[in-house]
Amino acid sequence: MLPASEPRPHGATLTWAGCWRGARAMLAVLPPVFVFGVAFGIAARGIGIEGWLASLMSALVFAGAAQFAVLDLWKIPVPWLPLLVATFAINARHILLGASLRALCRGLPAWKVYGAMALLSDLNWAALIAAERRGERDLGYLVGGGLMMWLTWVSATVIGAVAGGLTLDDVKTYALDLVLVAFFATTLVGLRRGRIDDLPWLVAGLAAMGAVWLLPPNWHVMVGGLAGGLAGLVRDEMKRR
Amino acid sequence: MNITDSLLVVFAMALVTYATRAGGIFLVGFVPMSTRAEAFLRYLAGSVLVALVVPATVRGGPEGYVAVGVAILGTLVLRKALPAIALGILAAALWRASMGAS
Repeated sequence: MLPASEPRPHGATLTWAGCWRGARAMLAVLPPVFVFGVAFGIAARGIGIEGWLASLMSALVFAGAAQFAVLDLWKIPVPWLPLLVATFAINARHILLGASLRALCRGLPAWKVYGAMALLSDLNWAALIAAERRGERDLGYLVGGGLMMWLTWVSATVIGAVAGGLTLDDVKTYALDLVLVAFFATTLVGLRRGRIDDLPWLVAGLAAMGAVWLLPPNWHVMVGGLAGGLAGLVRDEMKRR
Repeated sequence: MNITDSLLVVFAMALVTYATRAGGIFLVGFVPMSTRAEAFLRYLAGSVLVALVVPATVRGGPEGYVAVGVAILGTLVLRKALPAIALGILAAALWRASMGAS
């Protein structure tokens, strides 16, 4: 999958062709996104959230893990602080994802960059940085992939809120959560540059597992990512001396 | 929860979430461009992905290891993500079926 236009060394682009490539890269993960969306619609109805409100939440928040977490905090009076802290903690990993896209935003107008970031999520980000290694320079890749996911996520929430039948346990038996892990794993293969990545990735994996065991839920991506990045940086510094 | 509170919660969540999405590229704009910063961001991308994959694989148990292992091997051999993911899931399903039968 080579970019249609000649990749420019010092600038990024945002084109329809890029959107299309990004959208196609999402095909494998749309089924699990759909099923989780349906599950969210059902779960939301289950605790008394109206269908239109659950759908609005999917459309505006567009972050599955945070949306599921908030269902536990859907109480009167509204537990504002836990609710906002949970939302931030679960989504804080986006900050790292966005930071790593710096080169792919270079030279683009701010409205395009900040518009594209509205659709940033783990899956289309992973697809984009794997494609970047193959020469992709089009931020549309993120937008197209994000739009596909957004459409799937919102329509699935609507369907789940209207219909019923599935629960989260069923989702697990259908091994759909494994599709997402397998998807991330394949992008990891494309991202590997060689032995230079061994140490940072090892540290990232260990730190992420440590965070799973020792910290509250949902910090492992942040902790692992930062630890791996710093490990690479420190190693390079020590080599230079 | 009444409609006003519900809508406020949804809008607040949307705002916080968008802040995390836009925050990365915003904050990194304050860091002067250097080879060191570039290298860090490149390590960061791979490390974030590892931090996503490793705990999820471990949590998946034996099926997680089979799915991820086969998907990685499949990508290396086939050079295509989609069939590699399919093979990984198939292998995990077969593994589960064979374990369930015994």
